[in-house]
Amino acid sequence: MMQAETQKLPSTAPAKAAAHDPVYFRIRDLVYQACGIYHSEEKLYLLSAACKRRIANMKAMESREYFELLSSPGSRVLELRELLNEITIGETCLFRSPPQINALQNVILPELVASRSKIGLRKLRVWSAGCSTGEEPYTLAMFLMEQTATLLKGWTFEIVATDLNDRSIEAAKAGIYGSYALRNTPDLYKRKYFQTTDSDKLQVTNEVKSLVTFSRLNLSDDSKMLFMKGLDLIFCCNVLIYFDVPAKRRVVQHFYSGLQAPGYFFLGAAESLYQVTDQFHLVHLPGTTGYLKPVANAEGLAKP
Amino acid sequence: MNAALNPDLRKRIEKLRVLPSSPAVLEPLLDLLRQPPDNIQLERVAQLVSYEKTIAAQLLRIANSSLYARSRPAESIQAAIVTLGIQRIEDILLSNCFGKIVPADKWVLDADVFWRHSFGCALVCREFAEGIGYGQPDKAYLAGLLHDIGILVTSLSYTEEYRAVLAAAMETGRPLYELEQETMGFTHCDSGAILAGTWQLPPAITEVIEWHHAIESGPSGNPLIAITHLADLLCRVRGLGYGYDEWRAVDLEMDAGWTELAKHMPKITNMDLARFTLDLDAAVVRVTALVDTIFTRA
Repeated sequence: MMQAETQKLPSTAPAKAAAHDPVYFRIRDLVYQACGIYHSEEKLYLLSAACKRRIANMKAMESREYFELLSSPGSRVLELRELLNEITIGETCLFRSPPQINALQNVILPELVASRSKIGLRKLRVWSAGCSTGEEPYTLAMFLMEQTATLLKGWTFEIVATDLNDRSIEAAKAGIYGSYALRNTPDLYKRKYFQTTDSDKLQVTNEVKSLVTFSRLNLSDDSKMLFMKGLDLIFCCNVLIYFDVPAKRRVVQHFYSGLQAPGYFFLGAAESLYQVTDQFHLVHLPGTTGYLKPVANAEGLAKP
Repeated sequence: MNAALNPDLRKRIEKLRVLPSSPAVLEPLLDLLRQPPDNIQLERVAQLVSYEKTIAAQLLRIANSSLYARSRPAESIQAAIVTLGIQRIEDILLSNCFGKIVPADKWVLDADVFWRHSFGCALVCREFAEGIGYGQPDKAYLAGLLHDIGILVTSLSYTEEYRAVLAAAMETGRPLYELEQETMGFTHCDSGAILAGTWQLPPAITEVIEWHHAIESGPSGNPLIAITHLADLLCRVRGLGYGYDEWRAVDLEMDAGWTELAKHMPKITNMDLARFTLDLDAAVVRVTALVDTIFTRA
């Protein structure tokens, strides 16, 4: 050891965070290629925890065997779906992404207001695609209502919320949430936009509900997707991860044609559109990422 | 910079030239950085470390910090150097050289904010360079590390005025260099170029310092400028900026730096930008830990 220390130097420091079982890097890449959901090194513990929960469900399995289960054609599709459920579990809550809300308020809404005002429009249409039990569309509705005193003074807006699952939509329409779903909700919003129920939970007010239209929609249903037009913002969080690449491409193409330019499309925090589309521009916002449908100009929409 | 047009501005720029002379360790250090990593000998590095009495103690402290999880404490400088690795030693020596430009009471940005941005940018520059197949990732690292040294020069000569400029930038969420230009008539690129000239930094690095906010006006044929420009942008929207969020949407592919880089590095168009960005967030955590370790006074 001492002798080694007097020899040549390593060119980079060997400082590494807690070492991971290398198989999780392979699972990470597999999940990324199949679903577009990506865990950087510092988020890898989330993936390994999800895998371990799955492994615990099956008796006595090594992590390497689990990787094989995920990569062999017979079990791959089903097990990936189970793993994705584990990865995204507990991710739905109101005000899930504060950086996204901040970016909406400080960057995106001002830009949309400016561009729509130029053509005399004072209306925004927002789509929450895969709205689950309503956390996302209600968050957006409340956030936009807060802006009507300032940025959106004199504007109207509607939020279209769709999901494949009827039971989710029923729950969404009721709009009743417990403390876990409300853990990120600022007190100001709790006071202004909720009422208490008998069961100690909070229910969104009718005023908020009136801004959101819930309906059942299968994102793969091309004929119905054609009707989703005139949108300014689309949110589709942890839904496309369940689609294969060709299906994902079709959905994203519908999103693209449904958006007015400039318009934005948001995915879940760890999702990406890599190899799905190059029409949208990946845009960096403080602490978050969005996809922009740019305005067609002299340069066209092609990448420079 | 067109200081020639405006005598008042020229006078202001002159004030920036009142700089400390370059530290004795800088020249041999830059020499060392030009060596291929395999050629670097422990003795030479140890010699550089000996230029500065306080450095040795700092190296031991960092080598024995939790960041490096040694099984037993490093007691000799040589053991500390091996633990830290050549890159870290260079980091510490360089940040020492440049950090000394500004006395403690004249820092406008907090020192740890400044170094977090600088090291963050260095790291992103290197990973970006590797991602697009630029042949000298270590040079890109150095460019990233030093690109904003003009901030130190401006802090030294115009401390109070610069504090007001930073406060206005934080208030409005606008880029710092825009407010520098509007309020002071010059930017940290201009003041950095003066330092780079006086201290005779390598020409490619000097160009980065001078032009990283003005790709279109800068010399073409030095991809380091565009690499640093893009890495700097990324750092500023991913929490490694100047201590505040800039409220804007950054579309890298529509950026002049991207267009410029695509001319030299066609591979850039294949880059998985989303994945790169998510990895960046991991880099933010690493850089923060590193800077905290280097700059926490023991």
